[in-house]
Amino acid sequence: MNRNYQSYESVTQSILGFAAYARSNELNVGVREAQEALAIASTGLIADKEVFRYALKSVFCSSEENTRVFDQLFESYWGQPKAFVKSRITMKNQSIMQKQMQRSLVLMGKGDSKEAKEEEAKNVSGANAAEQLRKTDFSKLSQIDSEYLEKLAVNLWKQMSRRLKKKLKRSTTKGRIDIRQTIRNSISSGGAMLELKLKHKKPTKNRLVILLDVSGSMDKYSFFLLRFILALRSHFQKIEAFIFSTKLVRITEFLKTRDLDQVLKILGTNTDNWSSGTKIGDCLRTFNDDFCKRALQGRSMTIILSDGLDTGEPELLANELSRIKRRTRKLIWLNPLKGMAGYQPLARGMKAALPEIDVFRSAHSLDSILELENYLADV
Amino acid sequence: MIKEVSAFVNSFDKLGYVVDEELATILYLMTSLQKPLLLEGHPGVGKTEVANILAAHLGTELIRLQCYEGLDIHSAVYEWNYQKQLLSIKIQESNQKTDTEKEKHIFGEDFLMPRPLLKAISGKTKSPVLLIDEIDRADEEFEAFLLELLSAYQISIPEFGTISAKYPPFVILTSNRTRELSDALRRRCLYHWVNYPDFEKELRIVHKHLPDINQKLSAQLVRTIHILRNKNLEKSPGISETLDWAMSLHALGKKELDEESFAMTQGSVLKSYSDTEKIKSAGVANILEGG
Repeated sequence: MNRNYQSYESVTQSILGFAAYARSNELNVGVREAQEALAIASTGLIADKEVFRYALKSVFCSSEENTRVFDQLFESYWGQPKAFVKSRITMKNQSIMQKQMQRSLVLMGKGDSKEAKEEEAKNVSGANAAEQLRKTDFSKLSQIDSEYLEKLAVNLWKQMSRRLKKKLKRSTTKGRIDIRQTIRNSISSGGAMLELKLKHKKPTKNRLVILLDVSGSMDKYSFFLLRFILALRSHFQKIEAFIFSTKLVRITEFLKTRDLDQVLKILGTNTDNWSSGTKIGDCLRTFNDDFCKRALQGRSMTIILSDGLDTGEPELLANELSRIKRRTRKLIWLNPLKGMAGYQPLARGMKAALPEIDVFRSAHSLDSILELENYLADV
Repeated sequence: MIKEVSAFVNSFDKLGYVVDEELATILYLMTSLQKPLLLEGHPGVGKTEVANILAAHLGTELIRLQCYEGLDIHSAVYEWNYQKQLLSIKIQESNQKTDTEKEKHIFGEDFLMPRPLLKAISGKTKSPVLLIDEIDRADEEFEAFLLELLSAYQISIPEFGTISAKYPPFVILTSNRTRELSDALRRRCLYHWVNYPDFEKELRIVHKHLPDINQKLSAQLVRTIHILRNKNLEKSPGISETLDWAMSLHALGKKELDEESFAMTQGSVLKSYSDTEKIKSAGVANILEGG
């Protein structure tokens, strides 16, 4: 770790040494980059330290994150031994911060620290912290972490809906030959059909119906899941969203404002059932009776986000689910509890629901939500 | 500072672009090592402008390729002029040439319509500057195609043969980071992250573009812009917004930035309804005072 340019005899060796040092610190530096570093030095740029730093940076880095690491490495390698010590200290500070963040994760684990300990052991660097946060259960986040995770999530979801859009667009470029257009088009080239015109498939509107459980037991998750629903809005032209606990409330209207704080405020004033008990069966019946025909039209997909802890009759739930299933292409149930090790769908409600569900998955962490992309892609 | 690098800084300065030592170094490297340069950064920090000024500095042509989803070889590299080919076939029907000769004729250079990339490698006297703008918006297939072009500077056309560049172009790629670019492409390029400029530099940029702007106004304006960038807006103001705003205020003959003039000209900085509301609720007076 404590390498410095002074430990080599010639300039060439020092430069190659720096390339190896950068490589060992996870910069993407190969033989070609090392050769280029030498080429740069031979053009005379090595005479000015700052200029040399800028030059090497442009060759050794390939993203903004890289550039920050690079500056530290450069200083510690080419700097005076004093500067070297200083940079070590800042690196130490960083790791203290990470440890504190980690501790807050463990604290929020509420005694069930097996998972958290595992995470602690894995914790090494900043990039890893993000990686790990993605795997962390929403219910085990501290305030600071959840802010960070939110930023991360919004970014990833944006990417996801971009990818989904692309998949859809590409699939519409194939079609049958449109003879009429082809002949018409051939007039300009004197009757030779040079370019075939294709009949495009009319792009189908993607419909998605989401039912989010906001009862007390889902408290820790519902905020993030609501965020997720907002993110999906940018991809699906038609999204119908409902929240339920003891009563079902349609929130599609409120989703039109993009600002989450505002959505929450509106929801707070318009609904009186946030964080109360659960009657899934009753709520689904209201859905079937009042909204089903409008919202579900054969091609749509239905997602239910709930932990399945129901206080109503299981038969009613199973019944209503099969009614939904008849009108939807795919019925997906996301259960945050499924992320827990050793979870079995034993709750009465969940047990009754299982036979009707096409896909049963967890939704406890960012990564598990992102996995949903595969199912959303084929809507 | 190294002589070659300071030459870049001075020349760019004369052309009206404030360039820092780091970017100047990289531009010098790019021209001496003949490597493409990948510029990443927020929208509106002057990435595209770098290519413009570089072309002016080198006294050469700028060829620009704007990427978009679905960009394909026909609109980026070359296309045959079908109409002309057909006409030529009709004309030659009566003459005595053999079929192979005729075929060779219609797939000749006269019938080839070069698009930006082909144009860039067929420079006759001087290396042009090729700007591939917003590469992150193009598909991955196109990115893969670029890899080949950027390493060998040659394009093969099946009917015609391979064209390799006599004067390889200076290539600048820009990306707004809406998609991660492949590692292979990144490694072929020099990399530079373009950040928002600091207060001093941005002030210099404003004065460069509007030499007779009121000093107090410009300082106030740049400070406000820096505050706005920290407000987590939907669309953070870039340098182009700063300049737009300075120009609007200047055109209205304002001497300083107050609530009234802010309200009159906010359209040049705040580019969405929710941003406007956000700033209104935070209080314009607060922001102007530095909160």
